[in-house]
Amino acid sequence: MSDIKEVKIVGTPALEGTYISEMDMWPFECQEFNRIYPFYENLREGKFTTTKCQKCGHIAYPPGVICPKCWSEELEWVELPQRAKVVTFTETQAGAPIGFELPLIMAWLDFGKDSPLKQLLARIVNCAEGELKEGDEVKFIVFNVPSHPIDVKKETKICDRVYYAFEPVK
Amino acid sequence: MVQKKNAVIVGGGTSKFGVRQAHLLDMFQEAAKACSDDIPALKPADIDGLIVCTTMAGRHSSALNTAPLVVHRLGLKPTSICIRLDTLCAGSNSGIIVAKGLVESGIAEVILVTGAEKVYMPQRWETNYTQLMVNDHDWDSAMGLGVPPPFFAMIAKMHMKRYRTTKEQMAHVSVANYNYGTTNPKGHFSGRTLTLQEALEARIIADPFGLYDCCPLSDGASAVIIASEERAKELSDRPLVYIRGTGQHATHSMSAGWPGETLAEWPHLKKAGEVAYKNAQLTPKDIDVAQVHDCFSISEIIEMEELGFCKKGEGGDYVASGAINLDGELPVNTDGGLISVGHPFGASGARQSIEICKQLQGRAINQVKNAEFGLAHNLSGTCAQHTVVIYGKEPVE
Repeated sequence: MSDIKEVKIVGTPALEGTYISEMDMWPFECQEFNRIYPFYENLREGKFTTTKCQKCGHIAYPPGVICPKCWSEELEWVELPQRAKVVTFTETQAGAPIGFELPLIMAWLDFGKDSPLKQLLARIVNCAEGELKEGDEVKFIVFNVPSHPIDVKKETKICDRVYYAFEPVK
Repeated sequence: MVQKKNAVIVGGGTSKFGVRQAHLLDMFQEAAKACSDDIPALKPADIDGLIVCTTMAGRHSSALNTAPLVVHRLGLKPTSICIRLDTLCAGSNSGIIVAKGLVESGIAEVILVTGAEKVYMPQRWETNYTQLMVNDHDWDSAMGLGVPPPFFAMIAKMHMKRYRTTKEQMAHVSVANYNYGTTNPKGHFSGRTLTLQEALEARIIADPFGLYDCCPLSDGASAVIIASEERAKELSDRPLVYIRGTGQHATHSMSAGWPGETLAEWPHLKKAGEVAYKNAQLTPKDIDVAQVHDCFSISEIIEMEELGFCKKGEGGDYVASGAINLDGELPVNTDGGLISVGHPFGASGARQSIEICKQLQGRAINQVKNAEFGLAHNLSGTCAQHTVVIYGKEPVE
């Protein structure tokens, strides 16, 4: 084996300088790769949305292309509540997947009995370690995540992306 | 009409589990060798079907269509079935369910079900990063859910809150499983023992879990032979162990679809168990020995409840009472379980089923007296799916 000080690690040689979609930690959000792209377009406008079945009225999460209750394709986009209560939570100080800042705080959220989305595991951001308590109210927040290239005919297009999390209501 | 045949587990073996200096395909070969050592009359030519169970093969070993690779390395020439199957942590018990159906219907006679994982990569970060793919990637994983401890820690906190389960009760699971596993020559933590004090004083991994509440990730492989009763008698003189009943149930892939009232209730496991008991024509009281999916100490506690071995909410008291020990009401994870033997996802189910096979044949290291019926259970991923296989010394009528 070589001494690491003498060898420059250049990355996987054939892939140097490329973006590897199959290693991505974020979804492919653009229209070319996702029929639920309106979810991400709505995120950009600060809206938390999903699909509702126009036949049976079921509101699914995550959004889909058919209704998981009756398999109808007749769906519409509806907004979900943006506030929830922390049922329980966990703070990771080590061993989080690369790309997630420490401490990584994840909480089990309750949206209340009147919400079509009852519970959700969500990342809590803008929150110091030790600050969050069970029963705290949190609110929806959208942030930018890294863009990626896609091939469109002979051109390369850049897809900008966003994702969502929750933060304490102060 | 063709008479339905009975499917039996003839025997099996595993590679050494742990952080291995070995390739995925090396470990498939080690497990096959251990399986043939366990069934000396078995020759490669006897095997007409192959079910290969692995999750990480595509990502970590660049081996997407894994079955032909295993065919070549083991010198097999399957004619009835040759597939790769992935249900994550339940891989090889799922393979056993499929093999049962193929043998009972007469499509196959002798099937090798083998599972293996190469979890550890040249750089440790890759293993944690890959785990973003074993959850619902675009939803829960994008929230940071990779390795399982944070999710199961929330389950434990909720169980502690709702049912007054304590850290000490959870430690009883770790102590029992480490002490069973100390005599398992193939285990990740062979030779290690554990006291209650050591368990309670261990460094915290994810509150409330200390180090010993968590199973390790492991490299490793396992292999079992599932055959018709007739062929099994030709391959081995040992008592026959029949696959009596199975159940597999999933309700969701991501947190929003969680089926329980809270994280502490696992109705999807209860359902999988009920289906398996019904097919096996048995009740929880009939089970003499169980191998349940102790990925975390709290998992074994909740599994005791949902599989009907104690009342809901009393799992903590049940494990702390000594019920799961060798002289207890229901010895559990008698080979050390995931906590001591380790957890190479696709290999764990068959490893459990091998232990049940040995128990029912009276040749286990930690032998349960007069064991007639045994149960194996896996959960997959972040508790998205449950798989139950029930064995007995007599077939169902």
